[in-house]
Parts: sequence; structure tokens; C-alpha cells
Amino acid sequence: MPKKIKKIKKKNKPIFQSFQDTILNLQKYWSKQGCVIVQPYDMEVGAGTFHPATTLRSLGPKPWKVAYVQPSRRPTDGRYGDNPNRLQHYYQFQVLIKPSPKEIKKLYLNSLNVIGISHKDHDIRFVEDDWESPTLGAAGLGWEVWCDGMEITQFTYFQQMAGMECKPVSVELTYGLERICMFTQQKKNVFDLLWNNEGIQYREVFHQAEKEFSAYNFEHANTENLFKIFDMLELEAKSLIEKKISLPAYDQCLKASHVFNILDARGVISVAQRAEYIGKIRDITKSVAEIWVNSQK
Amino acid sequence: MAEFFLELFSEEIPPNLQKNARVFFLENFQKLFEEKNLKFKKSATYSTPNRLIVLFEGIGKEVREKSEEIKGPNINAPEKALDGFLRSNKITKNEVYKKKIEKGEFYFFKKSEKIIKTLDLLEKNVPLILDKIPWKKSMKWGDFEMEWGRPLKSILCVFDNKSLPFKFYHLESSNNTFIDKEFEEKRRTFKNFKNYQSYFKKIGIIIDQNSRKKLIENALHKISKRKNLKLDISNKLLSEVVDLVEQPNILSCKFDQKFLEIPKEILIVTMQYHQKYFHTFDQKDNITNEFFIVANSKDTKGFIKLGNERVVDARLNDARFFWEKNKSQNLIKQISKLKSINYFQGLGSYFDKVQRMRKLGAMISDKMLISKDKVELSTSICKIDLISDIVNEFPELQGIMGGYFANSQGFDKDISLSISEHYLPTGIDSRVPRKPYSVALALTDKMDTLVGFFGINQKPTSSKDPYALRRSALGIIRLLLENKKEFKISDLINFSISLYKNQGFEFKNKNVQNELSLFLIDRLKFYMKEKNIRHDIIDASINSFSIDHISKMFDKALALNKVIIKDVGNDIIASYKRASNILDNELRNKELDLSNSTDPAIFKNDYEKNLYKKVRELRKYFTNINKDEDYQVTLENLAGAKATIAEFFDNVIVNDQDQSIKKNRLELLQMLCKTFDNYINFSNIEST
Repeated sequence: MPKKIKKIKKKNKPIFQSFQDTILNLQKYWSKQGCVIVQPYDMEVGAGTFHPATTLRSLGPKPWKVAYVQPSRRPTDGRYGDNPNRLQHYYQFQVLIKPSPKEIKKLYLNSLNVIGISHKDHDIRFVEDDWESPTLGAAGLGWEVWCDGMEITQFTYFQQMAGMECKPVSVELTYGLERICMFTQQKKNVFDLLWNNEGIQYREVFHQAEKEFSAYNFEHANTENLFKIFDMLELEAKSLIEKKISLPAYDQCLKASHVFNILDARGVISVAQRAEYIGKIRDITKSVAEIWVNSQK
Repeated sequence: MAEFFLELFSEEIPPNLQKNARVFFLENFQKLFEEKNLKFKKSATYSTPNRLIVLFEGIGKEVREKSEEIKGPNINAPEKALDGFLRSNKITKNEVYKKKIEKGEFYFFKKSEKIIKTLDLLEKNVPLILDKIPWKKSMKWGDFEMEWGRPLKSILCVFDNKSLPFKFYHLESSNNTFIDKEFEEKRRTFKNFKNYQSYFKKIGIIIDQNSRKKLIENALHKISKRKNLKLDISNKLLSEVVDLVEQPNILSCKFDQKFLEIPKEILIVTMQYHQKYFHTFDQKDNITNEFFIVANSKDTKGFIKLGNERVVDARLNDARFFWEKNKSQNLIKQISKLKSINYFQGLGSYFDKVQRMRKLGAMISDKMLISKDKVELSTSICKIDLISDIVNEFPELQGIMGGYFANSQGFDKDISLSISEHYLPTGIDSRVPRKPYSVALALTDKMDTLVGFFGINQKPTSSKDPYALRRSALGIIRLLLENKKEFKISDLINFSISLYKNQGFEFKNKNVQNELSLFLIDRLKFYMKEKNIRHDIIDASINSFSIDHISKMFDKALALNKVIIKDVGNDIIASYKRASNILDNELRNKELDLSNSTDPAIFKNDYEKNLYKKVRELRKYFTNINKDEDYQVTLENLAGAKATIAEFFDNVIVNDQDQSIKKNRLELLQMLCKTFDNYINFSNIEST
């Protein structure tokens, strides 16, 4: 990895950057650090972690460096586009490096520099955050990184994924892009963010989608069908697992996970059922991961 | 004399792990030196998020290990024993000799005087101690084998101004460390702690957490005084903040005044728990929109203040959105929504729970002579806030928000207060509700919880109590005692069991009444211990009454405890013991059939008659006292019998030749003891 990173000039306020430049700059930066830049996974996922480039690639002994932006969907967070801070669809920028490099903190702080946040001017704090994902059977230790009191990144050393010990350990950086841009652009409302330098706002790109998907997630999604679809996906996944085909099986798992999230938003899943559904998804993920790891040998 | 100085540099270690590590290292290095008889003048551990420091000053450079004779196994013991002895002392068979002592013939080994260099001792033991640290949570990183709280990057170890090199997994210690925690690029050599500390002080970093704490506290007080504001510093928050920064810088910030309309608990939770800020009150104890933050660097460009203010505004904006939405949602109309949230597998939904609480609460309201309607209403709506967005966002505000909702929808003040207080008390130091409706609701909720969880055998074990049942039980105890209430607990338990049964929940545990009573008594014991009541008094009072007399048990024990080492206590115990010792002796030796009364006709002298009169007087006192027994008066009365009892013993020989007279006198003594036992079973009390 190149040791010296070009320092960008400091100005007298957080340095404005459009939403798309923020993504482009992060991609360019991590590309320079030797990461494979892949595209978002073409499926609804709850977070960048679900991309197989993270879940599956964090397993096994082979070194791996990847970075990508991932649209993420959290149906329960929808607010019909009325809330200035919450979205049911938003962007994460995800970096995964295995094994975690010694100088990862430096690499991370320098990456903030390229998107307009100089650690010398801000209070960058590493606040304890032990991460767990019951659906993925995953756990890690690390921090949420605060910039002047705002969480801008999840910084996690994976210890376990899909029920398996991570060896070697990967480090995962997840940047909350909207939050970061609200910070660098000094906006109080996410919809006011400038998407590019031509005056296009986040509102124009996504406001209608927020409104319509909130209505779908909370009111219109056909729960009866979704329950059926969940069962069908589970069956499909199991049959693929029997045939030892890991990646398509994992796709079923992602779809099922999203169906579950919509059902959850519709408020039709009781506490007891919830644990049961999460358990089902986790079991499939575990089987998939085992097949995948074996296929790598 | 030399200095031992160790610095462990890592990525940011969470505050609670820092605290544990400081304690562990201090204790374990002290233990090491004490075992080897190595004296030191000063020991300390310090930490910042990135640095853990161990320091021992004025340590001897070497220590003389005296010659001593070490005993091994018996010469007749199996060969293995001797092998083990040789191995553990690292000697050969030639070095041992046989010697006879009292217990037989044994192998011995003469350990010669040895001089141990502290340097060697440390070289060997530092890595061992480092490896032993029990992190509450530890992790691995990269492809290394080491486990640490967060990645350990560098070890500085200096003894007597010189580097003390050792290996620890993939790291090797040296006399230098990283001085820039951000990039870990610059290193610097240190010969001793003093240089180290003053170097960091110069660049604004305070190594000693105690100094940091003082600095932060003083700065907070100073700035709030200047602004004429009051603080309510949570110790937990303060000590956490101290371990989150290395160069504390207090900034005064503000949020938008419009947020002062929303409940202050929301403001406090947001600032204190989520953002780790210090909130303020004005001189009239109203919360203000000014707060203090402890930044970890200078705010040269004002970004830090600005950023933090924006974060709070955004968070409060969110909270206000929920608050506005939830407060007008009709509580009564939402009751049926509770059907969709599971309370616990085997105990139904929250709807089932509040239906049971309605009936149990009604029973309690009858006993407390308060309005049944109001209690029924409060039980019905007390859990509605669990389905609100705001409690979903701020789970720690459950109950409190329910109270606000009830208040804003015009419910009776008693009802809204009872809802906001119904999770209280939450521990031994937590506030206890005082108002009758609050007490009723809090009791109802806790009793329903305990009976249910005991019913399905989800009882706490010695180490695990995932549903905080101990806390609930202690809550019941405190609600009763601190409000001077007495309930037939056994009735409440039985009724609660029947309520579950009526809803169709079959309990696996058929022994709930008994087990839960014992569990509550156990919490009562714990509570009494916390009040420094002597253990024998606790036992005596618990053995004297049933679960239906919790207040009595406590109040009597407390009253007796107060006088136990004073004259009153001494007089009672001395008199009682004199009588009970004779009785016990006689009863132990012979088959004696004592009746419950004595025959005054065969009394021989006035001493007997006087004692009899005294006993009757006391009995009359006990029969006549009503519910408002003043326990202190009772105890004084009992103590007042001292003279009569003493005169009896000084002048009467119980062990008379005539068996019938002897029996009569023993019966008199038995009457005396039993009369005393009306207060508490004194036979359990130890004499002082």
C-alpha cells in the first residue's frame, strides 16, 4: 500500500463535497489502497455487510480487499419523506480488508480527509461498539466513530461470521454517506443535500421513492403473499444447499431477509415469531457459508 | 532503588475495560513483588484510551531469597510423588535427603540462598501477567494469535532507566512508544515515567485519569457557576467521559430553545446517555438548553461546538416528532394493540398481562382502601407506551412516557403518576413510590411478573437473573416496608396464580406459593443486611413470622437491633438466656412433660409469686396492644422485668428436691420465655 496520501488543502469550514463526489472520492481513495472496487449487490439488502463480497469473503484464509457503495433498505425506518434524518433507503460505503492491516486507523483517518473531514479540525472519537448481527450469525468488536458527536462510521473487527470464527480477522468500515454529507454540506435535512455540483438535490432523486416505499412497507405490502414468499424462498434455499450451490442459495437468503423486514414493518410479526424467522435466516446463512468455505479450498 | 515502568499502547480501549485493566495490573504486579519480598515505595496504574500504564517506584534491584529446608513427600509415598517434588523444585534426586520428623520419615531438600535480580524476575513475569488479563470482551486482529481489548500495537518497558526487552506474541517490548495515536508514525524513547508524563503534559495529554477527572469536574463547576447554572453530574457519566478523552476540553453548547417543550427526561437521556454530555438546570431547577461537552481536543475553528450542537438538534427533532405524534394517540383505544406484543412465551401477550393486573390491582386497592376504578384504569393503560415510537427510540423511558401520555390526555394525576412510577424501585438505591396509587400499581406489576416467571420455572440461578426477578422481589419488599404497608402476600400470590390459570396458562411449577415466598424472604434478608441489622436478629425475626408479616418482621428486627447493645437489649437477652438456659438443660436431660401453665397454689415464696405476676402483666400487655404496637415500648417493658427475674434467680433454686415444685418452677420459666417470644423468637439471638 502506498504510504503517502496526498493531503488536501484545509479551508476554514468543513469542506463541501457533493454526495456523488463523496462516493467517487472514497472509491478513488480505496482503489489506491489496493481495494477491488465492486458495484452494489443487485438485490435488496439491509446493510453493506450483507453483500457477499463482505459476508462470504470475510471467511476463510485468502486475503481480500474490497470497497463498494451499497444502497441499503430498512423498511421500518421509512418516514414517508417527512423526517429530515430518516430514510428507508440510504447509502453505505463499505470497505472490507482481510487480514486487517496494522495501519488501518491511519488509512481510515486519511480517507476522511479526502471527503472533507480533517481529523485535526474535528473531534474524532472511537466510541465502543460491539457489533452483532443475529441474522448473519456474526459478531465483531470495534467502535462507532464520532465526528464532533455524530456517528459517521462503524469500524469493526469481525470475530465471527455465519457462526464461524474469522481467521484471519477482517476489518470492516461502514461509512454512513448521507450523515457524512449532511455534516460536510452543513445541511439539517437529508433531502437538501446536493447530489452533484449542478444543483440537483437528494430530494429530486429520492423523495418520491421514500414516500411511496413507506406507504408500501407500512400499508400496502400484501402480508399473506409475503409470508408465502418467505416460505418458498426458504425451501428454495434449502434445496440449493442440498445441491451444495452456495451463491444462489445465499441470494435466496437475502431475499427472505428483505421479505422478513417488510413483514416486520407491517407489524405482523410477534416477538416470538421474530426470533423464529431470524433463526431460519441464520441457519440458512450458516449452511451457505460452510459450503462456500469448502468450495474455496 | 529503581523504577519499573510499563506502557501498553493500543487502539482505543473502552472505558470499562480500561478500568478493569488498571485494577488487574496493579493487583497482579503488587502480588508478584510481595510474593518475592520485593519492597517498593509507590505503585500506580494509569490509562488513556490508547495507553495503559503500570508504574512501580523505589523498587529494589535485587532480592535475597533466604536458604530454607523444603519438605517433600513421605519416603514410603509412591515414586511419582518424589518425581513431582523434584520437577517442581527443578532438582535431581542427588540433591534430596531423608529426615525423620514427628509424622514419619520424609524427603527434604535444602534450598540455598539465592539472589534474584528484579530485572530477571520482571523479564520472566511481565509477559505472563499480560497474558493473564481477563478482558470482559477481547478480540483478535490481523492474522495474529494475541487477544487484547482492542489491537495492542506497542509495548514500552523500562526498568532502572533501561529498556527491558521481552517478547509477547508478535510484539517485542522496547523503551519507546508511539506519540501520535492517530497515525502511529512517530516514536519516542523514554527513560522513566517522569519524562514520559511531562512530555505528554507538554503536548496537552494528561496521562493520570485522576487528574483528568479533577480537571473536568472543576472546569464544569467553574463554567456553570459563571453562567449561573446548576449541574447534576452523574458519576457514571463522569467516569466514563474521563476514560474517553486524553486532552479534555470543556465546551459550552446550546440546543434550540423550542425543544424545552418536550419532556425533560427525553432531553436528559439524549444528552447524557446518547451523547455523553452534561445537562444543566437554572436556579429554579428547570432544565435549560445549555449543556457542556468534553471534547478530546482544542476547538480551534469552532467546528466541534457547532457539530455537537447540530447533532443534538437533529436527535431532539426526531424525538419531538415522535412525542408530538404519540402524546395524542388515545391510550384506551390502543389497549387491544397490546395483543400483538408477546410478554413472554407461556405467559401470554401484554394484553393478557394487563388483564391479570387489572384484577390483581383491584384486590390490592381493596386492601389499601383506595379507589378500585382508578387502579383498574391505571393497570389497563400502564403498558401502552411500549408500543409508542418514543419508547421504541428511548427504551429507558418506558413508564415515564406512559405517565406523560396519560397526563396530556387528561387522566387523573394519581393515575398518570402511578404509570410513570410503576417500574420503581429499580434497585437498592432507587427511589420508592410513595403515593398509594403508585404503590398499588408497582406492586401489582411486580407480583404478576414474579408469579408468572416462577410458574414457568424461569427462576434466577445463583449467577444468572436475566429477567431481573431479584430486582422485582426487592421492589416488593421496599414498596411494603418503606410505605409501612402490610399485605397478606400469600393471598396475593394465590390470587395471581389463579388469574394465570383462568387465562388458560398451565404452570409447570406447582410449588409457586412456597418458592416465591422463600424468594421474597431471601430479598427481605438482603434488605435487612443492607440496613446493618445483625444476622441473628434477622434470623430470629424471619423464623418468628410468616410471609404475611413482612413489615412486622422488619420493624421488630430494626427496633431490637437499635437497642441490642444498649441496656434495654442487654437486660432482655440476659434475663431470657438465664431462664432459657435452665429450661434447655432440664429439657435436654430428662423426659419432662411441661404444661403451658403453672400452679400458683404451690408457690413457696414471694419471688415466685412476683415473677408470676410479672409474666401475667406482660401477657396482658401483649393481648392488649393493637395494631399500632410501639416496638420500642414493648422492648422497654420486657427489659423492665429484669429486676423481678433477677430476684427470682438469686433466691429461688429451680432444681428443687420435690419434683412437683421443680416442674412447677420450670413451667413458670417456660411461660416467661414464651411471653418474651411474643415479640420475636429470642432463642435465636446470641448473647453479647
